Amino acid sequence: MKDRFGIDWSGAKGKRFWRAPHVSRRIFFRHIASAVGGYFLLPPKTMEASRIGGAPINKAKKAIFVFMAGAPSHTDTFDFKASAATPAAFAPESYGDITWPRGILPRLAEQLDNVSLMRSVRAWAAVHELSRTWYQIGRNPTSSLSKIAPHIGSVVSMELQDKNALLPAFLSLNATTGPGQGYFPSAHAPFYVSPGGNGLGNTTHGDGQPAFDRRYALLRELSQGDSIETDFGALASELAQYNLSARRLMYNADVDRIFTFPQDERNRYGNTGFGNACIAARNLIRSDMGTRFVQITIGGWDNHAGIYTGAFNPANNNALIRQFDNGLGTLIADLKDSGHLDDTLIIAMGEFGRTVRHAGGAALNAQAGRDHHLQQAIFFAGAKVKGRSVIGSTNSDGFSTDQPGWSGDRDIRAEDVEATIYSALGIDWTTIRRDDPLNRGFEYVPVDSRYDYRPVHELWG
Amino acid sequence: MTGTRAVAALLNALAFAQEPIDTNCTFRAEPDRFLAAEARAQRQVQDRLTLFSQEGLSRFSQDGPSRIADARDIPQRNFIDQAIFGKLIQNNVRSASLTGDYEFVRRIHLDLTGRIPSKEAIESFVADTNPNKRDQLIDSLLYSPEFSRRWTMWLGDLMQNAAFNSFQSIQINGRNQFHAWMLKSLDDPNRSLKDMVWEALVAKGNNYDEAAAPVNWNLRSRTPGGPAQDSYDTAFNRAATQFLGIGHYDCILCHNGRGHLESLSLWGKDAPRTEAQGMAAFFARMRFTYTTNDQTNYYFNSWSIADAATGNYDLNTTFGNRPNRTAIGATRAIPPQYRLGQTPRTSDWRAEFATFMVEDPMFARNMANRIWKQLFNMALAEPVDQLDPARMDPKNPPTAGWSLQASHPELLERLAEHLGSVNFNLREFVRVLVSSSAYQLSSRYDDTWKIEYVPMFARHYPRRLEGEEIHDAIQMGTQVLANYTVQGWTETAKWAVHLPEPVEPRSNGGALNFMNSFYRGNRDTTDRQQLGSILQQLNIMNDNVVRSRIKVAASPTLRRVAGMADYGAAVDELFLMFLSRPATSAERASAIRFYETRGAANRNASTEDLAWALINRSEFILSY
Repeated sequence: MKDRFGIDWSGAKGKRFWRAPHVSRRIFFRHIASAVGGYFLLPPKTMEASRIGGAPINKAKKAIFVFMAGAPSHTDTFDFKASAATPAAFAPESYGDITWPRGILPRLAEQLDNVSLMRSVRAWAAVHELSRTWYQIGRNPTSSLSKIAPHIGSVVSMELQDKNALLPAFLSLNATTGPGQGYFPSAHAPFYVSPGGNGLGNTTHGDGQPAFDRRYALLRELSQGDSIETDFGALASELAQYNLSARRLMYNADVDRIFTFPQDERNRYGNTGFGNACIAARNLIRSDMGTRFVQITIGGWDNHAGIYTGAFNPANNNALIRQFDNGLGTLIADLKDSGHLDDTLIIAMGEFGRTVRHAGGAALNAQAGRDHHLQQAIFFAGAKVKGRSVIGSTNSDGFSTDQPGWSGDRDIRAEDVEATIYSALGIDWTTIRRDDPLNRGFEYVPVDSRYDYRPVHELWG
Repeated sequence: MTGTRAVAALLNALAFAQEPIDTNCTFRAEPDRFLAAEARAQRQVQDRLTLFSQEGLSRFSQDGPSRIADARDIPQRNFIDQAIFGKLIQNNVRSASLTGDYEFVRRIHLDLTGRIPSKEAIESFVADTNPNKRDQLIDSLLYSPEFSRRWTMWLGDLMQNAAFNSFQSIQINGRNQFHAWMLKSLDDPNRSLKDMVWEALVAKGNNYDEAAAPVNWNLRSRTPGGPAQDSYDTAFNRAATQFLGIGHYDCILCHNGRGHLESLSLWGKDAPRTEAQGMAAFFARMRFTYTTNDQTNYYFNSWSIADAATGNYDLNTTFGNRPNRTAIGATRAIPPQYRLGQTPRTSDWRAEFATFMVEDPMFARNMANRIWKQLFNMALAEPVDQLDPARMDPKNPPTAGWSLQASHPELLERLAEHLGSVNFNLREFVRVLVSSSAYQLSSRYDDTWKIEYVPMFARHYPRRLEGEEIHDAIQMGTQVLANYTVQGWTETAKWAVHLPEPVEPRSNGGALNFMNSFYRGNRDTTDRQQLGSILQQLNIMNDNVVRSRIKVAASPTLRRVAGMADYGAAVDELFLMFLSRPATSAERASAIRFYETRGAANRNASTEDLAWALINRSEFILSY
């Protein structure tokens, strides 16, 4: 498959070979040079960033990142391909360039005017934890950088945070752990919330507000003699600052409005944990209280068995796929109604895709499920992406990329998705920070001459 | 459902990426543009001091004597003091004075056992008139069961014991066995850290078996998405980083040091990739075998490690996590060679490596440096995982343009020697550290403090308690104990420090989130951090972990205090219980006035309010 330079030429047929997937111009010339002069044996030299892709496209102010943990089947969702096993009730219909399983994703079907689907996407690894981390930090977690690499949302926070805002810039809904702020200050850490509709956790005092006020006044009285030393300079008041920020969140009517919602609202969103998170995300986007990046995690997509009787059961109105459709479809509709959709980028994806070919030519495996597969597809909405459009295409069963369909002319990778998100939010995705603890320089999007990672601006036509 | 999980688990265990993975080494050396790493560590300590100074231990100055001394007046109790105070005297820098009894008793309990002292422990220590009472307390804490518990947590961090990881999971059973092995080892007062590391490096067998528990160390190194050489590299690199403190092998396993490490490592800048690969080659005979995907079997998802009689580190890779390994002329495999020149004398390469490593002077330096950091809150050589072997030995100073890496190079050498002379016995080594006057300095410094003083250890540096320690400090004060179920354990965990890893207790999301907001790390992608956050503040003010424990109805200690008609006595007790010190006169007056204003009818509520307020003082979450 690969020659001794690690180049896979197999995907090159039918094209001029120097434009083949996986081969950038630089590696091509290096290959040629090495054949002539042994260039490849020279020690690798730190190369200056050559960044193809240009200035940030700046289409959105905020982002909602729906992470479908477990890795949903791409050919049953965002790269729909009917197979012999596909239930008829999936009822695929065409919307512009998109073929869409309306039967299981009816609400999102109504929103496709504002949706673009990336189909030439390939995960680097088919291992859950590894790939999940990879997408969230936008780089290989097996490198020693992983320990200091911030989550994409933390980078967004670093760039776009309003220090006077009431709420943190990066909220992570329905998760309690995952990649964090890396080496960034903790102000950029994911702020974990699992919205239940009854307010933000620990922003009220379980023993009642009178008890809290009494206790807090006592604390202040006891601390009266404490001097706020300024001898040590401006970094002095970290703890006090956090306490102040925390206090501002407590018994705050604005915060309560975001995280408190009535039953009929919950019902509209499906009355599920995911639906509740979508309501909170909508309120956060609408409120303009400082939040710029909202992650919503929805698990349960690791459907190795019984995919059409479980998560994708078209007869079950509460199947996982319907919970997803209800929540996200209503969220997009509501943001459109309030005029917030055009400057909010919405992404939905898993850590990889699922298998399409099995023993005996079957569409499903022996347990009527699908296993891990690198090919996947990503859902983009809002931020004025070109509606009813697709980026790239896969072959007839969705096994691998047929046409990349974008300037990179190769599979879209985690690093490109990262660059796309930064670019859409107006962040200079070519930034290299000089403040990391390894003294090396932290690249927002990894520089790699073999791939020239870059944003997929084709989403905007 | 069970079938699904079994298949999923199998695939998790077996799945490799099916494509080449980019190395994504995005490090670029442009060091002129940053603060040096050592300076960064000093800055972090400085920031903590700053934070600490807010809480105003300076208020002690109203009551106590001045906390500043001429360094010549501090008694030098051992070789540590000769080095620390010698340097202060030489630089004409004043020293903080020795801790008072209250400051000392809190610090030594936290550092050795992870818990604040009980009111009774404080009172009896303070009342004791024996001039050797500090040494006696140190001795009793070193040999208390809680010492092994707290230091198993430390060792678990060092040996990265975590059930689920982004490389290779060892599962709950593996984690429990590894944890039990560490705890049992540390319970044994004669056990040597050197032997433990040696066993971890050479262990064979199934990772769920008690007899093979240390095999979990190497199992984690199995690396997805690449050829077997990637796993050899990871196994070596983890050992080098954690046990030798030399993290730069990670760079050199991809490429020569030249062009990358020029201003970071005197040793590393000229080290070729083949040197690192020669070290990794010792692992080239290690073999991983998956056991079973039968979910009903105890060994479900377990792995075994064994060693093949033959096998080499071949230069033949075309994909994976590191750049291709290609033949160099006629050389098609890298022979094992330890960094000090040794080559294996037997075919059991892994055992040979383990022996060379624990005898390597860097091993003793690294262990001494890391244990020092745990107790002094800043290492002699920072960062602890980026030691430079060419800048360690004061008898063999580095070339021009470079300086020795440690703030006190002779002291680090002496500590490494001492660690050897006590046969790597953790308790005896800790004893010499905490017995020193240097450790027993006050964290207060009643004179102008300068950042240049930081590397001189002119005062004790405070630290924020770990999430587990904060949880347990609340329990110590209130005596309301937890009852956390841990998967695979027959007994519940009553103290957070006893938990086997920082992502527990999974069985209690409330307690988990409370502690995680204090950045416990996950022993995989994230280290422990000393940062503050909004969530921490919300949690300590409002979370059930605090509120449920300060209820008079739940807490026997608070119930006793609430029953006291003498408000002054009640206040005195509360301050000892939570802050391990007496109230200042101003604090005492405020608290008594609070009791009086609220009246006898509210005595229970007032006691709860005071407990809450003391827990919310920022000094409560600090060891100072």
